[in-house]
Amino acid sequence: MKKLFREFFKGVIKENPTFVLALGLCPTLAVSTSVVNAVGMGAAATFVLMGSNAMVAMIKNNIPAKIRIPCFIVVIATFVTIVEMVLKAYTPGLNRALGIYVPLIAVNCIVLGRAEAYASKNTLMNSLFDGLGMGAGFTLALTLISSIREYFGSGKIFGYALSHKFEPVSIFGMPSGALLVIGILLILFNRLKGRKS
Amino acid sequence: MKNKLTVNISPHLHNNESVSKIMWIVGISLIPAGAAGVIIFGLNALTVMILGILSALVTEWLMQLLAKRRITILDGSAFLTGLLLAYNLPPGVPLWLPAAGSFFAIAIGKQVFGGLGQNIFNPALVGRVFLMASWPKYMTTFTKPLNFDAVTSATPLAVLRESGVIENISYLDLFLGRRGGCIGEVCILALVAGALFLFWKGYISWHIPVTYTAVFAAFVYAFGGDGLFRGDWFFHILTGGLILGAFFMATDYVTSPLTRKGQVIFGAGCGILTAVIRLWGGYPEGVSYAILMMNAATPIIDRFTRNRIYGTMIPVNRK
Amino acid sequence: MKETLRYGFILGTICIVAGGLLAGINFLTKPRIIAQAQAEEESALKEVMPEGESFEPAKKENGVIYYRVRDKEGKYIGAAFKASGKGYSSAVDTLAGMSPDGQIIAVKVLSQNETPGLGANVVEPPFTGQFAGKNIQDLEGVQAITGATISSKAVIDSVREKGKEIFELIKDEK
Repeated sequence: MKKLFREFFKGVIKENPTFVLALGLCPTLAVSTSVVNAVGMGAAATFVLMGSNAMVAMIKNNIPAKIRIPCFIVVIATFVTIVEMVLKAYTPGLNRALGIYVPLIAVNCIVLGRAEAYASKNTLMNSLFDGLGMGAGFTLALTLISSIREYFGSGKIFGYALSHKFEPVSIFGMPSGALLVIGILLILFNRLKGRKS
Repeated sequence: MKNKLTVNISPHLHNNESVSKIMWIVGISLIPAGAAGVIIFGLNALTVMILGILSALVTEWLMQLLAKRRITILDGSAFLTGLLLAYNLPPGVPLWLPAAGSFFAIAIGKQVFGGLGQNIFNPALVGRVFLMASWPKYMTTFTKPLNFDAVTSATPLAVLRESGVIENISYLDLFLGRRGGCIGEVCILALVAGALFLFWKGYISWHIPVTYTAVFAAFVYAFGGDGLFRGDWFFHILTGGLILGAFFMATDYVTSPLTRKGQVIFGAGCGILTAVIRLWGGYPEGVSYAILMMNAATPIIDRFTRNRIYGTMIPVNRK
Repeated sequence: MKETLRYGFILGTICIVAGGLLAGINFLTKPRIIAQAQAEEESALKEVMPEGESFEPAKKENGVIYYRVRDKEGKYIGAAFKASGKGYSSAVDTLAGMSPDGQIIAVKVLSQNETPGLGANVVEPPFTGQFAGKNIQDLEGVQAITGATISSKAVIDSVREKGKEIFELIKDEK
């Protein structure tokens, strides 16, 4: 049990996919404009990560090494398509906001990266928790970035306008602002980890 | 001191100029343009300049304190960044705008990269582009020249972009700065006087500014009119921030190429990009974007125009 | 050769299982997806024609050109139509409601991807509200948003153009 927790927390801090591994930055730039989008994207990616990690861990012994990548991709794409259909059916608003980035989870490097680097070498339970941890780390990073961007870029938080008025800094709503925020957070993250370049 | 200047390959020429002396002299050469801005747009312009400079100095001090670097706010470089940024703002902006712009210019444009000499992009232009992307409403509202009731007017270039015709304004008015525009860019006479002073003192060479202006003028002359070779190149040189950009910002020591050959390439690139943005781009003015893009290309230009080290063979196979 | 066949077989099996799974999920979610899309369209139409009760699509060849709108008593009260214009960085799609005499009732921007904080403001009521009550022949009074002329023009021009076209079609309708 303790080991499973370790697998989980590793993804949140020590191997955070966004701030440490720097994987999956493209959807991070695109959907972190508002907290609602970020949480939705994070949840969708977490589901795909857990599903594909678990599935890959289960079938890893039956897949020949030479064709493992296409097999992984089919598994991942299946889970992504499930997520897309469910989102369309039950939360059309969120689906429209996330747009093309839902189907693009299929090519998000975190998902294939974890399948290849972790799930194909570890047990089912470990892989499941690794997926959950990575998903949680991704969601956390997205939420952090998007709350900063939403606050400065539109003066709102969670979609609600704040009482005090200031002129929104619209660069934070653009992809260039996302790069800035990620860069500044990376500085802080590395500082906190006590790592000096 | 190690980080203050990029060291070129030998032979080195030594002289007694320090970095801060150069900075202050460039600052002095900008005084006429600033004075002209205040005369044309009123005391508002002066307030904007002071706030830009103050904010730049405070930010520099704070960032150096935070990073535990030596405090060098009096070396003139932060002063110059703040001043140049203010020159690139419309005179009627709300007063927090120059402060925010200078903060961004120094903090993100300069100190994050490691301070003076380490920055890739011209900090003042980074600040301006940040403001342009963040509060475009204020950055594109200009006050009328010689009219102190804060009447807004469009710049000649904005009129050209909107309606496609060149405003009926004489070359003399443009030369003296009787037009809407940013504080420091309008009075060409004052800018040219400052630039001549710098040439005379030998602080800038002709390579970047002259190639920049000439290539730009040639490009606009060729493609800026109804047919080939019918563009009004003189109008385009006198409007917008071209002179300010070519003589005072593209020539920044840190962010432009080291060799003469590289500087000519740099100037030509700036000229073409500026003309392309003005003629076919989405914005009426392209000087700041052009210079920033060429700043990004500077390391590559430097790499391919490196001087051969005296006494060595041309390396056949560099790793 | 044998190896290749084995690889193909394994990959094929995985694909068939995945395909079967997706077919099942699709069967479960499809009705809901269609219902959602309809509900969304209905609510958008209601927004531009608040008096409307029934929206009957007027079709031509391969698509809906506009909707004939009737109120509760079944009286014909106008048309709703979609217009699309090229903005600064994206296509701006607009839905507009128009009375039979060519007066705009309301305008709603359905989708756009313009600059946040600038062009994206075309979806806000201060801009779209200006259309209400104006005649399709004369939209001069609609002010473009400062600093976002291109995005605003995309909406104004596309609505005007499409509106005039639809007006010609519906003016004889009852």
